[in-house]
Amino acid sequence: MSDGEAMSGAHDCGGDAAAYVLGALEPAEADAFRRHLEDCAVCRDEVEALEGVVKALPMAAPQMPAPRELRRSVIRAVREDAARAGREARRRRWSAAPRPGWPSWPAWHGPRVAAGALAAAVVVAAGVIAGIEAGTGGDTGRLIQARVVGISGTAQLRVRDGHGELILRRLTPPPRGHVYEVWLKAPNAAPVPASVLFSVNSSGAADVGLPRSLKGVSQVMVTPEPDGGSPAPTHTPVIVAPV
Amino acid sequence: MERVRAGEARAFEVVFDRHGGAAFSLAYRMCGSRARAEEVVQEAFLSLWRSGVPYDRARGSVRSWVLRVVHNRAVDALRREVSRESRDVHDERLGERIASDERIDIEVERRDDAHRVRSAMSELPGDQRRVIELAYFGGFTHTEIARMLELPAGTVKGRMRLGLAKLRLSLGAEGVLP
Repeated sequence: MSDGEAMSGAHDCGGDAAAYVLGALEPAEADAFRRHLEDCAVCRDEVEALEGVVKALPMAAPQMPAPRELRRSVIRAVREDAARAGREARRRRWSAAPRPGWPSWPAWHGPRVAAGALAAAVVVAAGVIAGIEAGTGGDTGRLIQARVVGISGTAQLRVRDGHGELILRRLTPPPRGHVYEVWLKAPNAAPVPASVLFSVNSSGAADVGLPRSLKGVSQVMVTPEPDGGSPAPTHTPVIVAPV
Repeated sequence: MERVRAGEARAFEVVFDRHGGAAFSLAYRMCGSRARAEEVVQEAFLSLWRSGVPYDRARGSVRSWVLRVVHNRAVDALRREVSRESRDVHDERLGERIASDERIDIEVERRDDAHRVRSAMSELPGDQRRVIELAYFGGFTHTEIARMLELPAGTVKGRMRLGLAKLRLSLGAEGVLP
């Protein structure tokens, strides 16, 4: 929509459909156009027709096979996730039904382990889904530089709508048999699990969404923990981001 | 896809084997760097695997679903990169990125459809092809393209519309689109 159209409230039907399906409208324009689509069958038809063309556009790229190392790295991560999820499921079954004579799991461990386990198969919905569905455009939030201690790489914390996302680049991978675990710390309180376990890709990168609100949180921290995570940090933080 | 949703790693491997090449090709075309393209594809596939975002058959094929996620990830990466370097990218530099396909030596055409789509693109008038490439493969908005090409925004949107309409006709005639 042009400024004139926006001011007059008029809309040139179809004028925005092509830019919309190409993802080339500004975020506010795209929102306005989506609202317009609810009432305009002409534009809906045009969008539907042009979406088919846009779905074919990837084929305009020269086609080549995925590099073997890329395949290996994706498949390795997927298998590790699946194995970890299996281990966590078994662990949950154990903690739900302790065997006679075994020391009982302290009551406070339950939810924390469960929360950590949940994240083993999930690098958590809020951030990831936002990355997939709404990642393009929009408010980018506040970007905070985090300290990286004892390992190499860079870390930033993006805070948007009260939620955070860690943006990690060229980070040293966790030691063998370990994952990185995220903790949230409030002033004068012990760190609590953010319910997020993650690793990095072959170039040390990861974008990690944090599902819990950062309200009342003063620091976001990351520690390496044994596979499956820990109920409390067992290692000095390697990343510390002030909120 | 049900098996993927149930967390079956082997089912997901099949998805990667079927669509990883197309995903990498798209990411490489957009990013112009092998390392960046690998990063984008890995993030996209792992986000699909880990987020549990349901595949909706009504919204298209599995390939379209995968490629949409890869495209969004690549646009995010490009916008992050460009915002660090400032959004005022010189047209010449952009041209290098957009033309990166010409530097690829190991090109393997996957299907006849790919030939047809490329051929249809090459038959578009240059000004229409350019705005479509800048938007889809470059991740630029119409206002950024207008500024870059020193054109009114309405002209850019008009070219997008004409270009996509022509592509639709030619791809329809070739049987690529229904």
